Amino acid sequence: MHRPFNQVSLAAVTLLLGALVVVQLRSQAGSAGLAALSAQELTVLVANLNTRNDQLRTEVATLQRQLDDLVSGQSRGETSVDRIRADLSRVSAWAGLVPVTGPGVTILLSGPVAGANVESLVNELRNAGAEGIAIAGIRVVPGTIVGGAPGGLTVDGTQIASPFSVDAIGSSTTLLGSLTRAGGIIAQLAVTNPELSLTVTPVDRVDLAATQRDLVPLNGGPRL
Amino acid sequence: MIALRARLRAIPTWQVTLGLALLGLGFLIAAQLASERPRVRYTTQERAPLVETALGLQAQQDDLKARILDLRDRIQTAERAGEGSAELVRQLNQELERARIAAGLIPLQGTGIVLRLEDSIQPAPPDGNDRDYLVSAQDIRILIEELWLAGAEAIAVSGERVTTTTAVIDIGGSVLVNSAYLAPPYHVTALGPPDLYDRLSASGGFVDFVRARGERFGIRISFATPESVDIPAFAGTVNLRNARVAPSQSPAP
Repeated sequence: MHRPFNQVSLAAVTLLLGALVVVQLRSQAGSAGLAALSAQELTVLVANLNTRNDQLRTEVATLQRQLDDLVSGQSRGETSVDRIRADLSRVSAWAGLVPVTGPGVTILLSGPVAGANVESLVNELRNAGAEGIAIAGIRVVPGTIVGGAPGGLTVDGTQIASPFSVDAIGSSTTLLGSLTRAGGIIAQLAVTNPELSLTVTPVDRVDLAATQRDLVPLNGGPRL
Repeated sequence: MIALRARLRAIPTWQVTLGLALLGLGFLIAAQLASERPRVRYTTQERAPLVETALGLQAQQDDLKARILDLRDRIQTAERAGEGSAELVRQLNQELERARIAAGLIPLQGTGIVLRLEDSIQPAPPDGNDRDYLVSAQDIRILIEELWLAGAEAIAVSGERVTTTTAVIDIGGSVLVNSAYLAPPYHVTALGPPDLYDRLSASGGFVDFVRARGERFGIRISFATPESVDIPAFAGTVNLRNARVAPSQSPAP
């Protein structure tokens, strides 16, 4: 009587064991993170991915055109000076290596504010699609640090006195909408910094200086 | 002792097997429960198509990024092909190479460190906030700032290069970097001087960060100092729709 019962118990336990191994392995795999998102968060993610993929498609089209022009020009024996110059201009402007101009927003900050709050503002501007940003005239590039406690703000080690402005180039409408939406960064900063006054103004023209930093690394080089 | 051995031998084999299987079962149930916390899993009907759409868009994004990197490589090769034709072309190509490196459009290799950030495995107390026990966009932004302060020259977060346009934002309990969805654990790779980690760990800001997030909420922060680190190129758009080079700064004809 014992033997069949033993075998059934053992089979049931091992079956359950196998099923749990599969579940455990699957839960560790790739899309695990998505399982933690609510339907609302997934909607935001899908919108973000759509926007980003549209931008990437535009970039692919631009690069494809650039490559076709280069190849056809070379086959006709033309020099590529103009094309290289146009590429250099585009990359340098994007990277902050040359001064740029364009429409955007100017945010005037008056009163004590911590460096971390200004960093959050810059992060929000980037998220809203800003193409270039400057704080008190200092161009923001990789490595730019906004630090200090309220009243002692520094940008790249330079002391910044109140009032000062954060200028950004981009679509004025999009930037303004993103900054001033309910619960957005301006509303958050107003709550956490009651003594700070923030004024966002859409402008037709913002002029941003080139960075003073050398962005070419000394401790590494192109991967071959 | 002999009596004990005799009793052990007397236990039927099936009981030993069943015992071991039950032990494994218990372990797996515990592991499964632990992996469910603190991230909440949603199981509503409307999520399935959204997850499927997000996965499809992520796959498209990976494909587009690969095409961008490939096209940039081919453009660079085509631009170099005319190098011997004139001194001006050679000079412009050198400038362009420097600009691309500065912009983060070229993968780099050099000395540096890799930091790993993982969610806490401590359960949140009943009056606590579950989100405090997960790695947030702000944690990653603080770490990036501390690395810049310590002398880092290039940084990537789980394969996404940090550039002049990089935003790091929260989405649920995960983050978006360059609008790419990243799930934990996050690897922050920094290229910099050989003593980058010493500089970082000597920084008051980094020590405060470890205390505030690691010691208080159990966010797991670990590091590695490999012989060399690889920083990927930025695989995104460098198109400017609104910004133009200021007229006086356009390269001379």
